[in-house]
Amino acid sequence: MNQSALPIQPSESNQTRRTGIVQILKKHLWGYLFLLPALLLFAIFLWLPIIKGFVYSFYHIDFVKGNTFVGWDNYKTVFDDPDVGKSIRNTLYYMGLALVMGFWVPIVFSIAISEIRRFQGFFRVAAYLPNVIPVVVLYGLWRWFYDSVGPINAGITKVFGGEGIAFMTDTKWSMISIVFMETWQQFGSAMLLYLAAVLSIPRDWYEAAEIDGAGVWMRIRHITLPSVKGLIVLMLLLQLIGTSQGFQAQLAMLDGGPMNATLTYSLLIVKYATTRLELGVASAMGVLMFMVLSVLAVIQFRLQSKGDN
Amino acid sequence: MKHEERGIMSRYDHRKPVNRLTYGIIYLVVLIMACSMLYPILVAMFNSLKTNTEVNSFPPTFIPEHGWQWGNFKEGWNFLDLPLFLRNTLAIFVGNLVVTIVVLGMAAFSLSKMNVPKSKVISMFFLITLFIPPTTYLIPNFLNLKDLGLVNTFAAFWLPAGASAFNLLLLKNFFDSLHQEMFEAARIDGASELRCFGQLAVPLSVPIISTLAIFIFSTAWNDWFWPSLVMHSDHKYPLATAIYKYVISARGLNLNIRFAILFMVMLPPIIVFLTLQRFIMRGLHLGGVKG
Repeated sequence: MNQSALPIQPSESNQTRRTGIVQILKKHLWGYLFLLPALLLFAIFLWLPIIKGFVYSFYHIDFVKGNTFVGWDNYKTVFDDPDVGKSIRNTLYYMGLALVMGFWVPIVFSIAISEIRRFQGFFRVAAYLPNVIPVVVLYGLWRWFYDSVGPINAGITKVFGGEGIAFMTDTKWSMISIVFMETWQQFGSAMLLYLAAVLSIPRDWYEAAEIDGAGVWMRIRHITLPSVKGLIVLMLLLQLIGTSQGFQAQLAMLDGGPMNATLTYSLLIVKYATTRLELGVASAMGVLMFMVLSVLAVIQFRLQSKGDN
Repeated sequence: MKHEERGIMSRYDHRKPVNRLTYGIIYLVVLIMACSMLYPILVAMFNSLKTNTEVNSFPPTFIPEHGWQWGNFKEGWNFLDLPLFLRNTLAIFVGNLVVTIVVLGMAAFSLSKMNVPKSKVISMFFLITLFIPPTTYLIPNFLNLKDLGLVNTFAAFWLPAGASAFNLLLLKNFFDSLHQEMFEAARIDGASELRCFGQLAVPLSVPIISTLAIFIFSTAWNDWFWPSLVMHSDHKYPLATAIYKYVISARGLNLNIRFAILFMVMLPPIIVFLTLQRFIMRGLHLGGVKG
């Protein structure tokens, strides 16, 4: 790659470094011109807002009168707000629930569907179907499913009798209801990835294991699961990254209620920006979140590089 | 000899009664799963054909019992200007796709096939953004667009579409798989870099471009929160945001009309998906991790 940086004629070897740069630019003019639009757009629409986030966190944002510098006030507001602690606990609860209720579902279904011979294609398409429907439409539908007079409660009262469950308005149930809906909606795409991995495992490994006397369950435990281990770890990381920032379902279905039971940290950022109109505080919360997540990212990177060795 | 493809279980396993029973149960569970995926679609359809009193009755009925109210669709159609919002969604989709192919395509081509010096550093500049969670700069991002005077314009979607490290990576990986010799030959024949990109690289990358089109379409079709922040006037909302603002959050709207609107909105993507299903599944596979 450095070849191009070398002067072409020996007589030029004593020239200054600047002409070297000019030459590189001349030779690779088109290469850099091709990169220029993307470099500009990344700088303006990604790096600039990321840097501005730190700046804005020290300002009081006012669209009419202009921004004023307030020092650490925004951070003080964040630490004095009792909702922040509550929202952090809710976010952790949400992440945990998503792991317990949702993470294993695509793995189990991918193994099950890989074994099914008849109508396998149909099951695949069916599982992916909710990913095709706009999420807002699904929020609308599920609000009715979860309604006190909706079909789920109708089923419960029919089978068990009694009162039925206030899925949306009971603080104990609201987060669980949201996680259940999201699992239903999202597991299809993860399932397809696992399925591709499961189907790419060589069949003769199972053959060999069977000859050695391994039962079906042993084959799954010692061949199938280890073969997709890498993917499982990757999906786990992606899910944690995703759920730590989750707010859209909570916002659309319950607006953070009942009694702030589904108010996640990201949702609180959004609320500070939209309803409380404290965009500086929202920026400060973003900065704090960035700090925590980057510490986690460093730890994860350390663990991963240790694992590779 | 008949060679049969085996799975985790062999033909021999299938003969054992215990295995047969578990297999049957698994089949049943998968079948229930598939039904639960189809159920909401049918519910939306049937509920949009009921009278309002029937939708609100308890316990709910599945199939309309008091006549099929086809007029609900007309009423829902008149309630919202669906073609306008659909047009906005498509405008965002087409603009984003064009910017992605031109801006990110050229950058990926440069990084992959034009071996510019310092391409490692430049790649870092692009790819580090993948590790910064978008929610942390959600509000600054909005303020930045406001500072630039882009709020309430479609450019607020089109231009940032060129700042997607994930899509850049997809394109670059694909270009890496194209043979360098082909481009060398074109250059020797006197083709400019622009022609190499426009008439050689882009036509060869139809598979990855269709994958990108699927991703970009599903984002444009699904995203409701960000447009609700960036767009202020009613006639600029994309479909998903309009549904959220006027249908999901609406109080006075009758339930059967609500279902009629939701059903009309979910039908087109389902039909497109089912007809192009084989291509879409292949495209998703090519896209790798992002589901």
